[in-house]
Amino acid sequence: MIRRLNLLSLTVGIVTGAAMAAVGVTAARGPAPDWVFLAVLGGLTVLASNRSVAFRDDAVFSADSMLVMASVVAFRPSGALLGPVLVGMCAGLDIAQFRERAWQKVLFNCGQYGLGALAAALVFWVAPASALSSAPWLILMALAGAVAFSVTTIVMLAVVLSLTTGERFRSVLGTLWRMHIEGLPFALLGVFLGRLYLDVGLVVVPLFVTPILVAREAFASYLALKRSHGDTVRILIGALEAKDPYTAGHAERVAMFTHYIGLELGLSAKGLERLRLAALMHDVGKLVVPNHLLNKPGRLTEEEFARVQMHEEVSVEILSRIDFLAPVAPSALSEHTRFKPVADAKGQPIEPHIVAVADAFDAMTSTRSYRKALPQATAFLELRENAGKQFHPRVVDALIVAIERRDERYGEGHEADIHDFGVEPPDAGLGSAGLGDLLHDEVPDSSEATQS
Amino acid sequence: MRPTIRALVTAVVVVVPPVVIGITRGVGSPGFVLATLAGGIVVGELLELCPPVRAAIPLSYAVVLVLLRAASVQEFVITVAAAELVAAVLRDAPGVVVRVECLARRLVAIGAALGVYSAIASVGSSDNETVMLAALAGAGLVEFAVDEVAGEIGRWHLDLSGHGRSAQLALVTSGMLMAVGYGGLGGRGGMGLWGPALFSVPLLAAWYSFARLAVIRRTYTQTLRALSIVPELGGLVRPGHGARVADVSTEMGRELGLEPHEIEYLQAASLLHHIGHVCLDDPEVLGRPIEASEVARASAEMLRQAEFLAPAADLLSPDPLPFGGAPRSTMSTAGQVLRVASAFDELSEGGDERLARGAVEALYSGPGYVYDPRVLAALERVLERVPRVDGRVAVT
Repeated sequence: MIRRLNLLSLTVGIVTGAAMAAVGVTAARGPAPDWVFLAVLGGLTVLASNRSVAFRDDAVFSADSMLVMASVVAFRPSGALLGPVLVGMCAGLDIAQFRERAWQKVLFNCGQYGLGALAAALVFWVAPASALSSAPWLILMALAGAVAFSVTTIVMLAVVLSLTTGERFRSVLGTLWRMHIEGLPFALLGVFLGRLYLDVGLVVVPLFVTPILVAREAFASYLALKRSHGDTVRILIGALEAKDPYTAGHAERVAMFTHYIGLELGLSAKGLERLRLAALMHDVGKLVVPNHLLNKPGRLTEEEFARVQMHEEVSVEILSRIDFLAPVAPSALSEHTRFKPVADAKGQPIEPHIVAVADAFDAMTSTRSYRKALPQATAFLELRENAGKQFHPRVVDALIVAIERRDERYGEGHEADIHDFGVEPPDAGLGSAGLGDLLHDEVPDSSEATQS
Repeated sequence: MRPTIRALVTAVVVVVPPVVIGITRGVGSPGFVLATLAGGIVVGELLELCPPVRAAIPLSYAVVLVLLRAASVQEFVITVAAAELVAAVLRDAPGVVVRVECLARRLVAIGAALGVYSAIASVGSSDNETVMLAALAGAGLVEFAVDEVAGEIGRWHLDLSGHGRSAQLALVTSGMLMAVGYGGLGGRGGMGLWGPALFSVPLLAAWYSFARLAVIRRTYTQTLRALSIVPELGGLVRPGHGARVADVSTEMGRELGLEPHEIEYLQAASLLHHIGHVCLDDPEVLGRPIEASEVARASAEMLRQAEFLAPAADLLSPDPLPFGGAPRSTMSTAGQVLRVASAFDELSEGGDERLARGAVEALYSGPGYVYDPRVLAALERVLERVPRVDGRVAVT
């Protein structure tokens, strides 16, 4: 541990020292950069590195590498290497780290980006200045420069990350590399921005930055609204769980299992998102079932059973009012999710079957008011036995394969949060009020037979 | 036309002419530039920037600025007319009337842009940077102004405020950048078609972000609306109550000059103000009727679980204040609006026209509670113009 810390400090020291040396040498030997442009670009870079844009939900891209590349080109004709180095160092100024007083991080980041910018600048310095004026050449050099920038920064970052997290150097390198590849088009764009600045001056900067800021704001609103939407769905799940404490975590787990199956079956990102929401909301109709019926410890009368069953139609009614979910609205209907070997018409969405299997699996492997959780092996057996009869066989296979590959365990003895029940649930028995549980042909009967 | 077929036809129409001209006359020929930009206009017509609140605007308006820079007046007119005609055919629009209407709107807007550009550009030499930038900016702004006025003709509902104009700003600046990238400025620079191609990236990023925003916005609103019917399906509230209250209170909020974010919260709170009812036990089980305040409290508690809806939860004040009770000022205007809209819907039995007058009078006289007269006046104004179906307040 101590050796590791020392190694870490040493690395940060080397990076910072090298960056300082780069600043010193370029300032002493090279011409001075255009200070106005340097200030504008540096300011924008600080802004960009503190307000990153997430272009996909998982891939965060910040515009700073683009601006660094712009500075590399813009300072090329004047020969002021100090320009790109300083702009690069601006990319390391993270306000949050200042607030946390994480000085080591700030120093390292500044050094890292400064050296990366220097590496990219050197690529352009090696090439003849005339290459700047032909577009194909510029693209070639932009790629080389961006690669130089990425390689320099990634290697330094990977060293530090593997020292702090203890992860293997090569796996860290792989992750970082993928992130940079996605940013490559923007580095390219930065090069052309620098080129345009050389031609027409500072006016291009606001013209360029405005649409990017607008895009960023729109994306931020998108993320905020997505969170609001997630919150709204969570409200409804919270209400369901308040009504029926036995189902705590059920919706989330079903969503997780459908995700596993969806990945296994190769659904698109949009399909997975649709599936996730459908899984989270598949029981929404239960909100209209009176509390005392949901948790009734004894058997339900036929009238009560019909009232409880009504929730499926309510779920469908609600899901089909949301355009995005309308195609998978039948997921909430146990009748529709039953696998029909003959009528397995092509073009029928598979999503309802996925939700059905995930729902049944979670119902079997969690404790309900009418019985305790079953062991995972029993649940798998039950699914396999009913594959092709009640469940879609491909979906059953996908779930079992996905869980076994992940080496995860659910069911008896593996429940995430075990409730403190007022009345101990019975040990055995399947099915109750048809609330997402195993539904055999003789539905009301099986529900009555289960109470011990 | 099926979407895939349309995409295929578009690709062919956009790619083939420049390729043919490029091969026969060379990629340096003016015909190649015009054909490529015409393709850009066609694609731009099919990609629309959809900001919230404002009408959608096509990306082609940015390409037009490049064309102004690249073509003579004659070439410009021919290229735009051809591209817009093709786009009108390919457009995903219901019926011929809509297509023609849209085509006319585009042609008028682009024509106005051409006029403004020529007028400003004629002031100075074409090498003058300021004149060139002013001409491009003027042309871009006129495009939107004309498009907006033409789009709102017949509706008399022109919103001249600056709110929600960031998409237009992004389009004008991008268009200017693309034009400068094409032809340079003050006689310097210019990368030809590389310029507009590369500098369309920020605009495309904005388009992508707005597209994602529009989709999630729709889903979010629909989810709220779908949840609002849960108590109705459970037979706890009059059908359509949530949606009607949301519509009326939104209009009232606008009437009272609430901020857009306040109206959003007001809408969410209106839609979900009965949702808490579903968590309460049945009156038969409780052995007593459920109080309105219990419902409000339960709903507020549910909304408060969501960080983003907490401000909406605050609008659901739990207790109907007794006559002469706590001062009105403790309650926000939005909260008052929701209370009034909900009470009106109940008193008028779902916005029934015959009962509306009596309901408003009852609210003025205050059945056990004093409502803000300002809010009641807003309700009256809204009721005068809110659309009706079968004598009832219509739900959107």
